[in-house]
Amino acid sequence: MGKKYDVIVVGAGNAGLAAAANTAKAGLSTLLLEKHNLPGGCASSFRRGRFEFEPSLHELCSVGTKERPNTVYKVFDSLGAKIDWRYEHNIFRVICKGKKGYDVTLKAGIDDFCSSVDAAVPGCKENVRAFLMLKKKIDKAIDYIYAKKGHPNPLTMILKHSDFMRVAGHSVEQVMTALGIPKAAQDLINTYWGYLGVPTDELNAMHFLNMVHDYVVDGAAMPHLRSHELSLSLTDVIRKNGGEIRYNSEVTKFLYNKDGSAAGVEVNGEKIYAREIISNVIPNNVFNRSDMKYLPKENVKLANAREFGISVATVYLGLDCTAEELGMKDYTVFVVGDPDPRVQYNKRSEDGLYIVNCLNNVVPDSSPDGTCTLFFTIPVFGNDVPKDLRPEDYKKYKNAIAKKYIEDYEKLSGMSIMPHIEEISVATPVTFARYLGTPEGTIYGYKLSGWDNLMARTAAEKTDYAIPGLNFCGGHYIRGDGYSCAYIMGEMIGKRVASRLKGGA
Amino acid sequence: MSKPKLSQLNPMDFTKMTPVRQAKIDAAPDTPVRELSSYVPNQIAAALHPGTQYLKVSKVVERTPDTKSYYLVPDEEKGTKSLAWFSAGQYLSVALEIGQMKLTRPYSLASSPKEALDGHYMLTVKRVEGGIASQFILDNWKEGTAVTASEPLGTFTYEPLRDAKTVIAVAGGSGITPFRSLAKAIADGDEDASMVLLYGSRTVKDAIFDEEFKALEAACPRFKYINVLSDEEKDGCEKGFITADLIKKYAPDGDYSVFLCGPQAMYRFVDKEIEKLGIRKKFVRHELFGEYFNPASEADYPANVADRFNITVISGDAKTTVIGTPDESILRTLEKNGIAAPAHCRSGECGWCHSYLASGNVYVPKSVDGRRAADLQYGYIHPCCSFPISDLVIEVPPMKM
Repeated sequence: MGKKYDVIVVGAGNAGLAAAANTAKAGLSTLLLEKHNLPGGCASSFRRGRFEFEPSLHELCSVGTKERPNTVYKVFDSLGAKIDWRYEHNIFRVICKGKKGYDVTLKAGIDDFCSSVDAAVPGCKENVRAFLMLKKKIDKAIDYIYAKKGHPNPLTMILKHSDFMRVAGHSVEQVMTALGIPKAAQDLINTYWGYLGVPTDELNAMHFLNMVHDYVVDGAAMPHLRSHELSLSLTDVIRKNGGEIRYNSEVTKFLYNKDGSAAGVEVNGEKIYAREIISNVIPNNVFNRSDMKYLPKENVKLANAREFGISVATVYLGLDCTAEELGMKDYTVFVVGDPDPRVQYNKRSEDGLYIVNCLNNVVPDSSPDGTCTLFFTIPVFGNDVPKDLRPEDYKKYKNAIAKKYIEDYEKLSGMSIMPHIEEISVATPVTFARYLGTPEGTIYGYKLSGWDNLMARTAAEKTDYAIPGLNFCGGHYIRGDGYSCAYIMGEMIGKRVASRLKGGA
Repeated sequence: MSKPKLSQLNPMDFTKMTPVRQAKIDAAPDTPVRELSSYVPNQIAAALHPGTQYLKVSKVVERTPDTKSYYLVPDEEKGTKSLAWFSAGQYLSVALEIGQMKLTRPYSLASSPKEALDGHYMLTVKRVEGGIASQFILDNWKEGTAVTASEPLGTFTYEPLRDAKTVIAVAGGSGITPFRSLAKAIADGDEDASMVLLYGSRTVKDAIFDEEFKALEAACPRFKYINVLSDEEKDGCEKGFITADLIKKYAPDGDYSVFLCGPQAMYRFVDKEIEKLGIRKKFVRHELFGEYFNPASEADYPANVADRFNITVISGDAKTTVIGTPDESILRTLEKNGIAAPAHCRSGECGWCHSYLASGNVYVPKSVDGRRAADLQYGYIHPCCSFPISDLVIEVPPMKM
């Protein structure tokens, strides 16, 4: 039998890094395996000429500050990872095109946020505030559910946490409508569906509220040196605590004991064993690399029942002029073709929603003097990529996407972008399929559909992940997508495994 | 505005979530989950980026006494069924085993993208004085030789949203290869650009593909070909070097992009000429610089550097210590000692050799430092252009090709 570790973590994405850092810090022998030659998955950076681009992060949620740390700040801080956080205090600007058009900037801070929505849709201030204030009730209920280890007393829930049940049991739009928030104001706030990939008439209200509330209260944070800083800070923690990291090391097979529990992995032709495995790799890929006979039928059925989450098309531009010269004053601008998120979602490949970011407005030195970067993001699914697209037409396909959105934004903003392009790179779900190796190039794991929402996933965690010794974390896990969720889940799983292996609960 | 009334939502809907979800799961089949290769984005990704390509030499053509072209076709027995499409200007990183050494070399694809669809790539290799790889290839590769190569790599490509409509291509020596590909891609309609090729050689005899370029010029109105000869006067050719005046003579009115590929000496000369033209940085593109030598000539090189160091290399469970010298890149020292390390561009740019420097100090010439900003903070290096200035411990990932 080959070498045996306490823990093998498969995949150095955000959750895998956070999990491995926590098991290593707990004193467990930890091996982190990554198929690529860099850590981070999406949380990386890439260079073109004199530019270093942020590949994926728009805004990190739930960070907070040293004085008032939120969950993500604590994930890093508790590990001793030092991040140079930079903050954005405008929530976003949204420009809606067409006859029903508008141009509104929403501000951070509960009062300012409610006032800025109210300025656009008069009379809704208190209703919007009531929505944000639900967060407190939710937190109380979740604390109670955690305290009861996921098995709350149904009567206590109804008597004490009925508002939580109302929020967690309905879509964003159902809850907002019940609170009397007019549709026009809902549409403004719900522009944010783009970060989650599920329109707000389907998205679970609790999930959305958690995100919006934290953005409103904390603002958004970005690391100084692109996401690569976040990932390297965690690899540093792993190494300093005796953990091992192997790059260019793709797990080709998951190995099981006779009793069906996870035993180890096969990587670069070598079998390596561990007491527990933590997979940052999506269950579909794990199952494809496992002997079917060890896989619980229910788990296979779940994988077959699920749809994949959203991916994106992105355009990275390095421009030979400053943001000021360009006239770009905002960090985040959403552009929508229609106010309604469902319409935006349905028209995602035509005129739905796209986001333009200018990192220089949060991190001024993120590109050389006299330059700036723009980052266009269009949420699309992997299966939106044309089925008949031939590899030899892919470059033209990518450039057509870039041209369409750059020209659209030039027309809308009056900026002259195209003549300043010094570097350009375009990614599509094909790019994410290449680097992440996920089915359809999903960046967010499984779609947070109405039926497969955060709350329903949480309730089913035990049965959904039924292979002993095989743990999962990442965008595909219960909390779904986004950097913050991945870090939080990675920490939770890392700590849970550490506690189990060290003989705790 | 109506008073908020959340109570109109039924809290018991919350309890329906689990049964609704369970019903969805129950209705799904328990058949094996779909293979990755069944999804369209994954199929295109695999076709464009196969990682490794197993090839074999199908034909060798002698171009000049010290230059040969190698036609490469898929080695189906080893699992490569077709060749990855590429953008003109990209290169293949070729894996070589020379004695105990395992190394890689980047060679621009000289064939057109369309020819990849027809089933072949072409690399053209010129003998470099003291260059073990070029010498090895020229002396050993013949019809039937198995060649392991990367997928097409590199960013020295024509980008229609970035570059001007006209490219002035400045080539020297075997730096002509990516431009053969680009010229053919333009003629094939795969790139929407015009191209003026200024090809610097000693004499017309040294101009690789001379006849071919003349034929292409006659057939394709968007391609113009000019020989620039340093050591020969010839009708229809320019005499001398590629200067600012010469570029101006052939440049169109308005914007144009200058693409350069050639030996480092050519970059040093032509870069100064281009400065005189006052064109924006975005319109000047260089192919890979190539391996960096002679770090001690840099102004910021530290004083009193010892002449040999212990380099301890950790790769998986293996730990080896080898001797390095300050004038040799860490990558070359590893290769000389038979340690297979990942590398593609060998110019500091692509980051494929990205490695963790656990202890010690290295010198990295600024002009070839292609690292990410956070790499500097956390001690990562690109061994292909990092030079030891103390004893080192580095972690090197497996080569993966």
